[in-house]
Amino acid sequence: MKGAFHVLVIGGGATGAALAHDLTLRGLRVTLVERWEVTAGTTGRHHGLLHSGARYVLTDPDSARECIEENWILRRIAPDAFELNDGLFVALTDEDVTYLDPFLEGCARCGIPTRVLSREHTLRLEPNLNPTLKLAVQVPDGTMDAMRLPLRFLATAQHHGAEIRPFTEVVDIHFQGRTVAGARVRDHRTEREYTIAADVVINATGPWAGQIAQMAGVDVPIRPSPGVLVAVEGRLCNMVINRLHPAGDGDIIVPQRRLSIVGTSSWVVEDPDDLDVPEAHVRMMIDLGALLIPTLREMPVRAAWAAARPLVGPRTAHSGRELSRTFKCFDHADEGVEGLVTIIGGKASTARAMAEVTTDIVCAKLGITAPCRTREVVLLPHTAYYAG
Amino acid sequence: MTEQRTVQFRVFRYKQGRERPWYDTFDVTVTPRTTVLEALQFIRRVHDPSLMLRHSCHHASCGTCGMRINGQERLACITRVHDIAGERVTVEPLANLPIIGDLVVDMKAFYAKFTPMAMPLIRHSEFLPEAEPPEGVDTYTRLENCIECGLCVSVCPVAASDPLYLGPAALAAAWRVVQEPRGQNVPEILAQVDTAHGCWRCHIAMECSAVCPSHVDPGAAIMALRGTLIRQHLPWRRKQQGGDAHEPR
Amino acid sequence: MNRGELVPRRRWPAWFDVRGRHVSGWAFILNRLTGLGLVLYLIIHLWVLRLLTQGEARWNAFIALAKTPPFLVLDTILFFGIIYHALNGIRLTLVGLGIGVSAHKRMFWVLMGIGLVLFVLSTWGLWTMTK
Ligand SMILES: Cc1cc2nc3c(=O)[nH]c(=O)nc-3n(C[C@H](O)[C@H](O)[C@H](O)COP(=O)(O)OP(=O)(O)OC[C@H]3O[C@@H](n4cnc5c(N)ncnc54)[C@H](O)[C@@H]3O)c2cc1C
Ligand code: HEM
Ligand code: SF4
Ligand code: SF4
Ligand code: FES
Repeated sequence: MKGAFHVLVIGGGATGAALAHDLTLRGLRVTLVERWEVTAGTTGRHHGLLHSGARYVLTDPDSARECIEENWILRRIAPDAFELNDGLFVALTDEDVTYLDPFLEGCARCGIPTRVLSREHTLRLEPNLNPTLKLAVQVPDGTMDAMRLPLRFLATAQHHGAEIRPFTEVVDIHFQGRTVAGARVRDHRTEREYTIAADVVINATGPWAGQIAQMAGVDVPIRPSPGVLVAVEGRLCNMVINRLHPAGDGDIIVPQRRLSIVGTSSWVVEDPDDLDVPEAHVRMMIDLGALLIPTLREMPVRAAWAAARPLVGPRTAHSGRELSRTFKCFDHADEGVEGLVTIIGGKASTARAMAEVTTDIVCAKLGITAPCRTREVVLLPHTAYYAG
Repeated sequence: MTEQRTVQFRVFRYKQGRERPWYDTFDVTVTPRTTVLEALQFIRRVHDPSLMLRHSCHHASCGTCGMRINGQERLACITRVHDIAGERVTVEPLANLPIIGDLVVDMKAFYAKFTPMAMPLIRHSEFLPEAEPPEGVDTYTRLENCIECGLCVSVCPVAASDPLYLGPAALAAAWRVVQEPRGQNVPEILAQVDTAHGCWRCHIAMECSAVCPSHVDPGAAIMALRGTLIRQHLPWRRKQQGGDAHEPR
Repeated sequence: MNRGELVPRRRWPAWFDVRGRHVSGWAFILNRLTGLGLVLYLIIHLWVLRLLTQGEARWNAFIALAKTPPFLVLDTILFFGIIYHALNGIRLTLVGLGIGVSAHKRMFWVLMGIGLVLFVLSTWGLWTMTK
């Protein structure tokens, strides 16, 4: 691939992984640097929900539409990566039931298939659910392994020639005049610093995007918004269990392997590296989760942790819930800095779409017309990332 | 938080190009909830950003944070500092895999043995057997137990002395395929483990099953593979099946 | 923070790293050590039997020596080795054939219980009968 343009992707999360894949498929030379192990940022720690989009139909229909579209694509390009047991939106109270009609209308508008289930039917599907539930709606949610899906993007990118460099931290942006021409990196394996020259640099550092932007002297409206997740021992459900109400705290239980994971909460921080796990949030997760599945309370806690969402929003936001879950791509040429593009927001479930939009912008800059093929190309198994 | 205390972390360090590995010692203040992973993240953030470790899911699901904590193979993300005896915690990388740097081992050799077993990631779910799946879902599925953490390989005394040994994780994966083929070629998988470096190499130390954080029980899987192969190799079985039962097609 | 304490070079084979081992791991290590010990014993034993070809006097002299306490201590260790290795070997044979895999730890302790009785009896016999 000599002579091809070279793109440097900063950040080895879901977004960076999908980007590396799309960029290589369009014939670009790609280097991806990640300061830790790949997916060690927000990506690996997420809830593991393959979104149907139903969670967002009431508040954020754009995000919902993105989710369902990507949901169908991912099932196709990553076969055998998901527990495809569907999800339920469970109405526990009469108030919850009042959301049923707007919810069904919203799903219909966004193209999310639904099926309304009676109380008895619901309990036959998921016997551990709170028996006082009123009704439930079935949607095409799924469970994923938060690390192994991005690994498949990375494995495929690597197979097509992308160079993935974990434990390589960007310490400065390399300029030629006013144009970004690469990055200065520190390789923690060898303790050496060197410069990677690139035609375009993509900042895909999620909640850390502000730090990279700062190195380049630009600004991105990123609000790192952490949430707490709690995993309890025992698989209490097979489907994803959501509460039928406007998205709130502790209202999703995602089963994974032999665990049940309940989440999440939401607040806003300055430094996404310094996340504590407030004890009160852990208790709140258990209390709220137990409304959906009462036995959750009796199960031993396996782990409680926090991760920071890379939400797009103004500095004034403080809970994070009011911020859109959709993504945004910034071409910093608009601020007079050529050669640097930032992609933030979104979800792990929509990483492919985020990569497509970003790669379109990068290709336009470089005069490349190759169309996006990531909707069709089936990804390699995750094991190929390490096995080579 | 209540009940804070200061614990000494003695951390194994190694960088490519250096002649010998060494230990660095750091003081970390911990609460009863603090995990070893959180303590190491604190060290990386506050004392030394060059500290290399692997982590991702923080809840025993990805398998990246395996390390030896006071000599014992564990997942750092679910090991509470308070549950470790003593005032000093020594953390070292997994054994029996090459070290890339600090606490990070190269998983290439692990996956080179694991991948040929071709274990599909998604399996049939045996939980809540009385539950009926919803319309549109044939059967409930779930992710496989093995999180590919390598703890079993690190603890295995045979892996320590035979670099060609397939190792407990790969053998357990092979047994999963035999149990639930999901379209895989079972005879071929059996042929791969029916070798001197396959399931016959194991010395039944059962350490793998003792350290596995994810209910895989590789030791039992290896014995089950042996049982299957012994039954196939019985002379009357062979005749009945016309040759070696698991000869690759 | 304290830097630069070199990791000592390992002085034992990797399979003998006993830190953080469980019962079954110890059982393996001990089985290997006793197995090697038995091989060593067998060699010595055959070498000693060579005395039989060198006349009655030399043999009787050796037997007298073999009844002295230092030799009886060695015999006691040998008994331990034989009993442990044989009983654990029975367990390994069974488990290796896929029998009682899930009960391997219980089996270990039961056999060790039997072993202890055998060991006490045989040691008692050894020290009293050679008087
Ligand atoms: C609590 C919670 C639950 C969630 N649940 C779900 C869910 O169920 N389903 C879903 O689809 N989405 C979910 N999300 C959203 C999803 O996790 C994120 O949107 C997504 O993982 C973001 O990926 P990313 O690649 O943009 O960021 P990240 O994964 O954070 O990747 C950025 C990477 O950049 C690296 N980096 C930072 N600085 C540097 C530097 N200087 N040099 C080199 N590398 C650097 C970081 O180490 C990091 O690995 C959840 C989010 C949270 C917080
Ligand atoms: C009483 C009868 C015995 C039984 C039931 C027995 C059983 C076994 C078994 C099952 C093993 C395999 C262990 C493993 O897979 O790790 C073994 C190993 C071994 N045995 Fe024995 N054994 C017996 C007597 C002996 C004797 C008399 C000697 C010595 C002369 C001996 C020397 C060894 C050695 C050297 C090993 C290899 C140890 C290793 O590689 O870890 N055994 N034995
Ligand atoms: S049972 Fe076999 S594979 Fe498992 S640790 Fe022991 S020797 Fe290794
Ligand atoms: S078998 Fe268990 S210990 Fe071994 S890699 Fe899999 S999960 Fe880890
Ligand atoms: S971080 Fe995933 S298993 Fe510990």
